[in-house]
Amino acid sequence: MRWGVFVSTTIIVVLIILYEWPKMKQNPKKDKVAFFTLLLIGLVLSMFDLSHMAGPTTWLETLFKPFGEFMEK
Amino acid sequence: MEKGKISALQMAIMMYPTIVATAILGVPSITAKYAQNDLWLAPIFASFIGYVTVYIAYKLHKLYPKQSVIQFSEYIIGRFLGKILGFLYLFFYIQVTGEIIREYAEFIVDSFLVRTPISVIMASMAFLCAFIVYGGIEVIARAAQLFFPLFVFPILILIILVLPDFEFKNIFPILADGIWPPMKGAIVPGGWFTEFFMIIFLLPFIKDRKKGMKYGMITAFAVMMTLVVVNLVVLFVFGPATASKVYPLMNVARYISIAEFFEHFESVVMAIWIVGTFIKISVFYYVTALSTAQWLNLSDYRPIVWPIGILLVVFCFWSIPNTLEIERFNIGVFPLYGFIVQTIIPLLLVVMAVFRKRKSKETV
Repeated sequence: MRWGVFVSTTIIVVLIILYEWPKMKQNPKKDKVAFFTLLLIGLVLSMFDLSHMAGPTTWLETLFKPFGEFMEK
Repeated sequence: MEKGKISALQMAIMMYPTIVATAILGVPSITAKYAQNDLWLAPIFASFIGYVTVYIAYKLHKLYPKQSVIQFSEYIIGRFLGKILGFLYLFFYIQVTGEIIREYAEFIVDSFLVRTPISVIMASMAFLCAFIVYGGIEVIARAAQLFFPLFVFPILILIILVLPDFEFKNIFPILADGIWPPMKGAIVPGGWFTEFFMIIFLLPFIKDRKKGMKYGMITAFAVMMTLVVVNLVVLFVFGPATASKVYPLMNVARYISIAEFFEHFESVVMAIWIVGTFIKISVFYYVTALSTAQWLNLSDYRPIVWPIGILLVVFCFWSIPNTLEIERFNIGVFPLYGFIVQTIIPLLLVVMAVFRKRKSKETV
């Protein structure tokens, strides 16, 4: 876990909440749930060493392997 | 959700940098790898994907004029499958946007701001784009209008300035190895042309909707012409060495030296390129935010603009350890991935939607 990244992401998340919350008080509950869920996903993902973790790009590369080999020729 | 209205011309002005911005920089050398000195033919073949995609998007738009693909796919293939398809689009656009921001940042770090941490460049771009996306489609359209001349004219001036260095014989022999090499070279730019499907998200906000198709086609043609010209310029200057340059247009700009003082034109290339990518990332970001909000049936997309910004920066890093990985993705995944998601699936949707409409007419 890299604390620097996590701490800075947390600060950004807090700033976003402080900035956005007053504007979206009137919005339906669903909007608020989506807002916090997305922030939480971002925050949780920032805890990992993302660039060396298997993820979307590697999954897709495995999925499209025959095509990748075709293009490499 | 979105109350702004744009004109068809504004849509064209938004879409042009959206495709061209990254395509003029790295793609010529990738094309050259496959097509050698026929690289200028590749965009012509690739543009057919663009025309087909625009046509499909417009057909879908005519069947469901007020909705985007996220919303009407629920009517076409049912609620459950429609949600799954919607998630696929969501994932596609979030990931591709992340990839684009990373590509942009890698270019800046590689060529200019060598000692700046890459996360600072990515975060500042995401921050800037978040503001414009928050403003809505009209703001993006106006910004695109404002920056469009700044993006196009420097390219023209660059071409004029580099004219003395042209070696026109580099173009020969034309089609020495048959039609196959430029066809294969067209695959990667073809992936860029599939991005025209994004007009499906913009078409519902157009005032003069009959012109939507016309301007989409004009944009595809303009993009094709730009790519052909850029590829020719690169070929005339570098010849067979094109494939070995990572950013050939950048190297072309370094060539310019007039009267000993008119030099270092590459900083101009960087400036126009930042303007272009800014529009590109904004449009992608907007599409991502809008489709997320539509997928979740939110009342407005604005509250989730900032959270998505964080996700985009996360996707910039996720499973991309270095530049090599981006290039592998751009060559070995994106052309087919983009083609399936943005051309084949919409084509199937059109076919199903037409059948469905016909069937419901018969029963009534």
